[in-house]
Amino acid sequence: MSHLRDESEEHDTAAPRPLRPARNWALILGAAAAVILMTWWSARGIGFSLVELACNLPGGRRLLVESWPPDWGFFPRLLAPLLETLQIAVIGTVIGGLLAIPIAVLAARNLTPGVLVWFVDRNFMNVLRTLPDLFWAMLFAAAVGFGPIAGALALTVFTVAVISKLWSESLEAIDMAVPEAVRAAGGSWLAMLQFGAIPQALPHYVSYTLYAFELNVRASMILGLVGAGGIGMVLETQRSTFEYPRVTLIVLSVLVLVLIIEQISESIRRRLT
Amino acid sequence: MKDQAAIRFQGARVVYPNGAVGLARVDLDIQPGEFVVVVGSSGAGKSTLLRSVNGLTPLTAGSITVGGQPVPKKEGAELRRLRAGVGMIFQDFRITRRLSVMTNVLVGRVAHVPGWRAMLNLWPAGDREIAFRALERVGIADKAWVRAGDLSGGQQQRVGIARALAQEPAIILADEPVASLDPVTTHQIMRDLVRINQELGITTVVNLHFLDLARRYGQRIIGLKDGELVYDGSADSVTQEDFKNIYGRDPDAGDMLDESAAS
Repeated sequence: MSHLRDESEEHDTAAPRPLRPARNWALILGAAAAVILMTWWSARGIGFSLVELACNLPGGRRLLVESWPPDWGFFPRLLAPLLETLQIAVIGTVIGGLLAIPIAVLAARNLTPGVLVWFVDRNFMNVLRTLPDLFWAMLFAAAVGFGPIAGALALTVFTVAVISKLWSESLEAIDMAVPEAVRAAGGSWLAMLQFGAIPQALPHYVSYTLYAFELNVRASMILGLVGAGGIGMVLETQRSTFEYPRVTLIVLSVLVLVLIIEQISESIRRRLT
Repeated sequence: MKDQAAIRFQGARVVYPNGAVGLARVDLDIQPGEFVVVVGSSGAGKSTLLRSVNGLTPLTAGSITVGGQPVPKKEGAELRRLRAGVGMIFQDFRITRRLSVMTNVLVGRVAHVPGWRAMLNLWPAGDREIAFRALERVGIADKAWVRAGDLSGGQQQRVGIARALAQEPAIILADEPVASLDPVTTHQIMRDLVRINQELGITTVVNLHFLDLARRYGQRIIGLKDGELVYDGSADSVTQEDFKNIYGRDPDAGDMLDESAAS
């Protein structure tokens, strides 16, 4: 009991507790008003209305009804394009993943051999990333003709953009103590990279490459829309001829393929240490 | 060669970009085969002294020669050649934990083999032999193919020592090599360093924090204070008064490994 009293005595002598600061109501209400205004302005701009949406729902339902059940009989004709999609993604990931290595290293501030190289490489990476994958698909389709080669090239560029950005940041976060030890042993810049720097960020590299592969399988569906090969091209022909049950089957197949790949790469990633 | 110092500091001065003085102005000769222990409180310039020998920290003024050759001020082939003959051991081991012990030790050979061989992991048999002998010398040859990060702290430091030995260096610089180890391992590692110095005649410079270790293992003790050389003498003749001078205060139990471990 006595220590209870001690505690209360301590409260009497303690410094006054700080008061809870007043809320900035002007800021909260102002921000809320800004969001509401922006939404209203945007909805008017694109003619978005909940009433109209409700009226059009039957149309959407008709589409869903027409799309169901999937046309299972069409599946055998999907196998080859699905495989092609996978192959496009593999080529894009492997070539892009290899090209991303030097690009990421030169863009890492702690590893780059010179400021000029770093600056040029950084900006090169920014350009790659700013342009969408669809743009590259159209560009390569025009250059090498419609088909899977154009898709693979587009995904190569896309992969370089994804991995080089993410991995150069991992490389910048490594501990530079070990690379210094390699230099202290008389190691060159390349030896410093190989034995001191890159091993530290290797798990990240594998992880980002797997991630890029997942993105590439998904992207190769879109790429087909501009004629860059794979399942996307089948999707586009079936959609334009209103074969909705077939479209449903295609969407389901890609969904399953992506889920399987995600599971596999996730289990690989878990084992990385 | 006989009268040539292994390491010679002449008016060596290091001022860091933030204005801190690492070395004020040091003149010092270290003879081939010596085992020198450098003591001083933290910030006294012990690390700077070692790091200036292999050019990791460039001098602001003055010069250092290693085996008669001046230490180049800029990175490049010449500095790499000099570093190839100077092994370095660090407080935090600085080995690549994800790579095998053998690969870590072979890093000590990078400056001696063509770049493409190191790149492709195609090390010449002779260099693998040197690496294995280095591991045998520190008693962990059985761990050659283990992942370096899986070893204990003392074993990891032995990998660091083996890497330095694989360079077949004329000089070994050890920057607080036992500061992250327990007392028992500390004495083992210190004995390893002394033994290597005696058996191979490698000139050894060790930074140490603990005074009893310095007195016990050093031949010659160098005291640094605020970047200046304030003591230079044999380990046998160093007195309590000298330590007081180096540290600017009376040494206490915290400066003794065995006493601070006991308390």
